Amino acid sequence: MFKAIFANLPFLAALLVFLIGFYTMLTHSNLIKKVMGLNIMETAVFLFLLASGYVGGGSAPVIRAGTKTYVNPLPSALILTGVVVGLSLTAFALSLVVKLYKYYGTVDADEIMRLRGKDE
Amino acid sequence: MNHLPILIILLYLGSALLIPLLAGRFSSRWLAVAAAALALILSGLSAWHVAEGGTYSYFFGSHSAPFGVEFAVDWVTVLLHLTINFIGLAILVYCNKEIDFAIQSWFYTLFLLLMVALNGLVMAYDLFAIFLFTELGTLTACALVAVKPKALCVEAAFKYLILSTLGSGLILLGISLIYMATGNLNLGALGATLPSAYTIYPWNIRIALSLFIVGFGIKSALFPLHIWLPDAHSASLTPTSAIHSSLVVKIYIIAAARIIFQAFGDSLISVLPLPQVLLLLATFGIFAGSLLAMLQTDIKRMLAYSTVAQISYIFLGIGLMTKTGVMGGLLHVINHGIMKSLLFLAAGTIIAKTGSRKIEDLSGMGYRMPLTMTVFSIGALSMVGIPGFSGYVSKLYLAFGAMEAGKPLFVVIILLSSLLNAFYYLPIVVRAFFSPGRHNFTWDGLSWQEAVPMLALAAVTIYFGLLPGVLVNLAKMAAAGWLN
Amino acid sequence: MHLVLQTVAKLMLPFLQLYGLYLIFYGHISPGGGFAGGAVIAAGFILYALAHDAELVSRRVADWLNSLAGIILILLGFVGIIRGSAYMFNIPEWRGQGGQLFSGGLIPLLATAIGLKVSSAVVMLYYYLVGEKKNV
Repeated sequence: MFKAIFANLPFLAALLVFLIGFYTMLTHSNLIKKVMGLNIMETAVFLFLLASGYVGGGSAPVIRAGTKTYVNPLPSALILTGVVVGLSLTAFALSLVVKLYKYYGTVDADEIMRLRGKDE
Repeated sequence: MNHLPILIILLYLGSALLIPLLAGRFSSRWLAVAAAALALILSGLSAWHVAEGGTYSYFFGSHSAPFGVEFAVDWVTVLLHLTINFIGLAILVYCNKEIDFAIQSWFYTLFLLLMVALNGLVMAYDLFAIFLFTELGTLTACALVAVKPKALCVEAAFKYLILSTLGSGLILLGISLIYMATGNLNLGALGATLPSAYTIYPWNIRIALSLFIVGFGIKSALFPLHIWLPDAHSASLTPTSAIHSSLVVKIYIIAAARIIFQAFGDSLISVLPLPQVLLLLATFGIFAGSLLAMLQTDIKRMLAYSTVAQISYIFLGIGLMTKTGVMGGLLHVINHGIMKSLLFLAAGTIIAKTGSRKIEDLSGMGYRMPLTMTVFSIGALSMVGIPGFSGYVSKLYLAFGAMEAGKPLFVVIILLSSLLNAFYYLPIVVRAFFSPGRHNFTWDGLSWQEAVPMLALAAVTIYFGLLPGVLVNLAKMAAAGWLN
Repeated sequence: MHLVLQTVAKLMLPFLQLYGLYLIFYGHISPGGGFAGGAVIAAGFILYALAHDAELVSRRVADWLNSLAGIILILLGFVGIIRGSAYMFNIPEWRGQGGQLFSGGLIPLLATAIGLKVSSAVVMLYYYLVGEKKNV
């Protein structure tokens, strides 16, 4: 059984990081920490993709004289797209947090719900 | 060689990039309307091409199937292109005064980029392109909700963004699991290799399928994952609510259905109890959406909950997994898109002119604003499913699909839910025309930019209700192409 | 900001931009590519703006570069349509030898357009976020 765990260690690590990000997003009430939790979850998915593309003994997927096996380059393309999308989403979420701070004066989700309940 | 599919996307993308260059000096509205009109003409030409020559595939960069990005243009694509571009054009013609000049250029840029995402998502034939267009659609849809500078909109957009990004992460995880198991991402190649890969890696395929359903379900408001929808659709600007409720939530269902039917195929549907789960969640969604819509006092929130119920109809059609069921689902995508955008545009006009958002203020409105209330009534009657309007046709085919699948329980569910729909739509129509009202607002008529889109959408609703032959035949060919 | 910070930022800026340009132009034969190079160039501009509290590239110029780079990217794809194949088909005569700088057909041109777009977009993101702070 330990052999199975060691063979799949990157995937287990990706799952652990995903759960850490998910827990952060669910429990912390500070909005910026929620955005960070989102980022951590995206990083875990990238780690999973990267680990799936590894070929044992391969080098970086750049053609050079003398190398025989390369690591699979397609997951790198998917991860690059994911990184760009993650950047845009994080920037957008943080600008929304700035706007929420301007309206409510706090970045705490519970405070905002309390203030909103008082307004209505 | 026919370049029409990619030209539609490039037209919207180029116009979206030109708007910041013109902002401040020229009004970006006419550029957006011109782009949408041209795109509608191009989709019509594309439909004519497919009618003449049959369905085809367009390879981006001329690299063939497993290596290049493939766009598949079949009947589903052509029908949905026509629907998306028609509704987009109607909404773009409508929005003039409600959008402040300060946010005008951002609104039109985001709207055109959303059109890029929607048009691309119905065409994409490999998982990478689907992921790309999904992300673009998520980002622009959330930004469109946040464009209105009010606290409620920003909160709704934040909730929508967090939940949608969670869904995107799950979709990416599903894509990576499938890539690990098979080694290619093209939907056609996956349909050929997945059955043999299933015997070696069963758990990969099962987990990937469930991740796709949950990921796309968050974005398209499947029953327990719909919690972002009422806030986002009721708080935002009228054109934004219209495009979201009528098109955005549905195109994600079409993408998920494309993956299920063309990558996973008939042999692999039974690895998970997928039809049973979809039918169960759809039933709960229909009743929950209708019951919650009855309790609302704000008109846009009621329409948003009604969207949740109607989305569950489409999931019902797809969950039946027969030709007529999928055909009913596809018909409901098109018909409900037109009906819901009509309802939101009419409701937005009433809110803008009278300043009140409550349903009880609509009584007697038929005398003050006859045109608006007439088109609202046409939309409401079509939603209930009264014969002569297009909503009846799609619900009829959903019932036929339920009979063909051997599950007559769902015919009863469709009938009961139509009754529930009548409970909250018909009182509005009756009270608008047959009760006196106390209104003290002044208005000076509808401008042609507000009247023409609503009249066009209402005309299409009545036309597809009275003469549904062409649409039903096209939908039949589309569903047959998916479920052969 | 402190004088040491400002001087170091001013001295580091050309190295950052050179490294970013290297990543963009050698993107097809070594790790890097348009996005990474564009992000490094934008990081250089943001470093200067943070240290000196003044914009090196004005907001209007960044907006225009953004749109122009996007339009160049779309137009580069039409080369494939003009030559009779699908959109964004590579040009066989410009393929060159593998491993050389001037090889790969359309790919270095696409990488340059992507680098320009990404750098102007990230700089504009920073300007908008800092602009919000001034309003708050």
